[in-house]
Amino acid sequence: MLARIALIAGLLIVLIVVPPFLGIGWQNALTNMLIASLFAMAFNLLVGQAGLLSFGHAAFFGVGAFATLHLMGAIEDRIIAFPTPLLPLAGAVAGILVGAFAGYFATMRSGVYFALVTLAIAELFHSLAPHWDGLFGGEAGLSSMRMPWAGLTFGSPLQVYYLALGWTVVSIFLLWAYTRTAFGRLTLALRDNEQRVRFMGYNAHTTKVIIFSISAMFSGIAGALLAVSNETANYSLFSTHVSAQVVLHTFVGGSTVFFGPAIGASIFTLFAFYISEVTRTWLLYQGLIFVLVMLYAPQGIGGLVQTHIQHWSKISWPELGRAYAVAAAVAVCLTSALVFVVESFAIIFSPEYAAVRGRLDGAWPPFKLFGLEWEVFSPFTWIIPLGLLAVGLLLLPTARRMLRETWNHILERAEAARIAKSEIQLAGAVES
Amino acid sequence: MEFLIISTLNGVTYGLLLFMVSAGLTLIFGMMGVLNFAHASFYMLGAYIAYTVATTINFWLGLLVAPILVGLLGIFVERNLLRRVHAYGHAHELLLTFGLAFIFEELIKLFYGDFPVNYSMPDYLRFPAFTIFGTDYPFYRVFIGLVAVGMFVFLYLLLSHTRAGLVVRAAERLPVMAESLGHNVPLVFMGVFGTGAAFAGLAGAVAGAFFPTNPNMAIELGVIVFVVVVVGGLGSLEGSLAASLLIGLFSSFAVGLDWSLAGLLSWVGLGDWARSVGGLFTLTLSSISGTVPFLLMLIVLLVRPAGLMGERN
Amino acid sequence: MKGKTIGLVLGAAVAFGLPAGAAQAEALKIGIIESLSGPQTSTGRLFAAAAKFVVDEINKNGGFNGAPIEVIEYDNAGGTTGAADKFKQAVADGVHIVLQGASSAIAGQITEDVRKHNIRNPGKEVMFINLGAEALELTGDKCHFYHFRFTTTAPMRVNALVNAMKKAGELGTRVYSINQNYSWGRDMEEATKAAAKVGGYEVVATVLHEVNKIQDFSPYVAKIKEANPDTVVTGNWSNDLLLLMKAAGDAGLKVRFATTFLDQVGNIANAGNTALGHYVAHPYNIEADNSDFPEAYKAATGHYPVYIEPQTVNAVRTLGQALKTVDFGGGDIKVSEIAKALEKASLDTPMGKITVRAEDHQAVIPVVVSKVIENPKYPVDGTKYGFGVVEIIPGPDAIYPVQDACKMERPA
Repeated sequence: MLARIALIAGLLIVLIVVPPFLGIGWQNALTNMLIASLFAMAFNLLVGQAGLLSFGHAAFFGVGAFATLHLMGAIEDRIIAFPTPLLPLAGAVAGILVGAFAGYFATMRSGVYFALVTLAIAELFHSLAPHWDGLFGGEAGLSSMRMPWAGLTFGSPLQVYYLALGWTVVSIFLLWAYTRTAFGRLTLALRDNEQRVRFMGYNAHTTKVIIFSISAMFSGIAGALLAVSNETANYSLFSTHVSAQVVLHTFVGGSTVFFGPAIGASIFTLFAFYISEVTRTWLLYQGLIFVLVMLYAPQGIGGLVQTHIQHWSKISWPELGRAYAVAAAVAVCLTSALVFVVESFAIIFSPEYAAVRGRLDGAWPPFKLFGLEWEVFSPFTWIIPLGLLAVGLLLLPTARRMLRETWNHILERAEAARIAKSEIQLAGAVES
Repeated sequence: MEFLIISTLNGVTYGLLLFMVSAGLTLIFGMMGVLNFAHASFYMLGAYIAYTVATTINFWLGLLVAPILVGLLGIFVERNLLRRVHAYGHAHELLLTFGLAFIFEELIKLFYGDFPVNYSMPDYLRFPAFTIFGTDYPFYRVFIGLVAVGMFVFLYLLLSHTRAGLVVRAAERLPVMAESLGHNVPLVFMGVFGTGAAFAGLAGAVAGAFFPTNPNMAIELGVIVFVVVVVGGLGSLEGSLAASLLIGLFSSFAVGLDWSLAGLLSWVGLGDWARSVGGLFTLTLSSISGTVPFLLMLIVLLVRPAGLMGERN
Repeated sequence: MKGKTIGLVLGAAVAFGLPAGAAQAEALKIGIIESLSGPQTSTGRLFAAAAKFVVDEINKNGGFNGAPIEVIEYDNAGGTTGAADKFKQAVADGVHIVLQGASSAIAGQITEDVRKHNIRNPGKEVMFINLGAEALELTGDKCHFYHFRFTTTAPMRVNALVNAMKKAGELGTRVYSINQNYSWGRDMEEATKAAAKVGGYEVVATVLHEVNKIQDFSPYVAKIKEANPDTVVTGNWSNDLLLLMKAAGDAGLKVRFATTFLDQVGNIANAGNTALGHYVAHPYNIEADNSDFPEAYKAATGHYPVYIEPQTVNAVRTLGQALKTVDFGGGDIKVSEIAKALEKASLDTPMGKITVRAEDHQAVIPVVVSKVIENPKYPVDGTKYGFGVVEIIPGPDAIYPVQDACKMERPA
């Protein structure tokens, strides 16, 4: 418990102290990371805790952004005076109103149908918005400017970052507090067994609408922060891509753990920021990571971390260390082979390479990768990824076996401890 | 009159194309409860495979090879990927197919580039089937329609008149029961998934030569196919056909209709007021023709989620 | 001998060391924030390639301010959010001039970001050269001193088409307008209606359809058939143009298309002989270029200049002309001086002269009206078709009036 608080406090200190020393690019990336994390946490309230998979959460994110921009425009035109740091409130209000309305209809259905309703709602916004000039600014969207307040100009990305940090921390704290309330427990109960909740006397539909609205509210705040940061919004905020990204982030991070979605969102946002400068195939890597997590680590990264923390005392570090070393070697081999092949193909099949070939009348010139030159049809080029692949595949069964055995031992020890503890309790009960 | 006839023909052929893609999806969902997000990707892959074969060897060979390869891919996906996450529930399967759709699109962009490729039918197929009111009706559209009808007939006969179809229908209704009767239900699932994928691939191969072949094909068609499947009823082949035709006809007719809410309100004398308000009131049906299918899907989902012909769930 | 060598080495060290220490010449940094992934990738990459071609040219002739011009590419992923992020990155990297052209929405985002940045950072201004975004508002209510547009707009293209086609007797009296329902498409519709009097035609119907979503244009073709026009004027691009023309060809519709983007790469290949006889208004036609530019471009990039590449080359070359008139002596670069110089710059091109209008920073460029013909000197897309020149309209005749909405604030 104390360790957890210390960890969070440490993270907060880093987030507060470090950014002034980073460049503007990194500050902006961190702001995006915070926004994505908040969005994912809000999304997870619905998915992880209430068990309602929504494919159209971009609707509330976008609505929050547009509402905030309208407010910003009103401040800019001196129609009303409103403190700039409180701008995301507009997003919250818009989110909760639209969320309640949409949620009322969406929660009439469950499962796949619910997902499809949310998808349809988001798509409705996406196709209507470019035609609706007044509310959504048409295809160009709305644009405004942050106005100074109380001596702060909000002109630099650093000030925007601190604003986003403040709102994100407060929102996540509220979301955490939510889980500690009785209503928060009810949310979990709704996911586990809705029928029983109804038999207990609660109106399941109303409960779901409230949860949906709260999730939409925090999504609206996230959208508002994006609007404040970019000072613009257009209909593309309602696209399936935005809804897809939050789903990816949440599940890679782990929807069963509270901080999972934030972890997933942070990793992917920073990954995208760094990798997209280097290669254009990063979306492919993102999809592959997602599918691999879905297949082999359905609890996500957060779930993995939590499992480790849960069984911390039962872990035999030498054994686990060995297993992880082999697994890491396998991962490195397979990943390198994959990256090599994908990047090579990206170059070979790119229009630039085709242009170079055109200039050389159809010859296949060598291409540059990782600072070295490679011949397209030479076995020396392809022996490297093939070799790495072979080594990785050869070691894979060993790694799997070692991991499985290690975790079996850990779980056995945990089970033994649990039995011992319950025996002591039984003995104590019998005695008394 | 001419507009009516041409629009009907266009609507029917476009609807039949939608059916080709959605037939597999609705069957898969009906059987396995999996809404396959990657289904439209199979359509796209079929188009690209056919393009590759058509430009290197032969157009007709492409039409043959594409469904086979995509069907095999579908079998691979079901057996090695979907089955692995089956234990974690439908939401997980949905997410997996979603991730796959992502990957397929990026792979296509990697190999073929992020722009349309020139996949078109051979010149000898580019003639009018008939001329009506002075407008030629291209033969290839009729060809697409014929392939779709052929597919429907094939599927219908397969499901209702063959032993394999009987097993499939049994496995869809009560999989555990069918399995205890000795049928290899996992094999049936694999077969259905593969067949659904193969048909989507065939649709892609055939339609890709007429409509643009680009990496956005999957998204562009995918969402409409969902609408079709929902409106027709998840799991019902006939419903899928009916809904495809409905949406195809609607898309075709909506283009020519400049109705708007303002126009409607002018019947009660509020037309000028509505027009001055602008915004939602002056949107014409023709300009939002792409939006209405989603509205339809929403209404169906809320009012009658079983769709036109699906079973009450 | 040894002493002499040491002396030589020392002397060389001094000779190289001193200047290197004295003149840390500030290099001009150009940031290309383009759609390098996503649906508009092919167009985005053309903008980037053409811009780099000219920068290489300038660098071969000594660069600027004592150092080669640096070009940094940023991928905005085809979206305004990506563009906003990359602009911030570009500012962090010290970029002085931003280039972009592949989307009016993105250009709108960038121009606003530039304007706000310049307000917040006086003395450290950034400039935006718009290579291809044609929405009127960019030189209308969104105009500001640090934005320059080096491409055409809807009125320029439509007026050119109308005048040339009328002169050639191919315009007719019934015109149908079909466009995409966003700022560009609406600009085109307005321009078509506005030119009706001069062109002597009646606009029989106007249609606005969804952007890049329509798979099947045959209903639209049926509507066109019903209206029975002589000419169809459209600003559609990519699939929207291609599918429209294909559907028209399939239905055997006998109508003349007057387009703005028929020369987009891949259109002629896909449309084939259905494109024959249709018109396009664009800033450049290679058939009219007798200079060595086409061959030089082909040698550098592997293909003849197509589509938006020539206008990009002209834009950056005009910038080059402006740079020749500014001298910072190797010291800090002041973008405001470059902008003032660009206002007065001009460039002679094979199509005509290019100048810049100071009131709204719209470049006054010639517009070429071309028609798709068979067996031209430069066939397109690997087919036997290409664009024959119908008329070249000089800049001052093609330009549109300054918009009232543009209230440009000039720096001191």
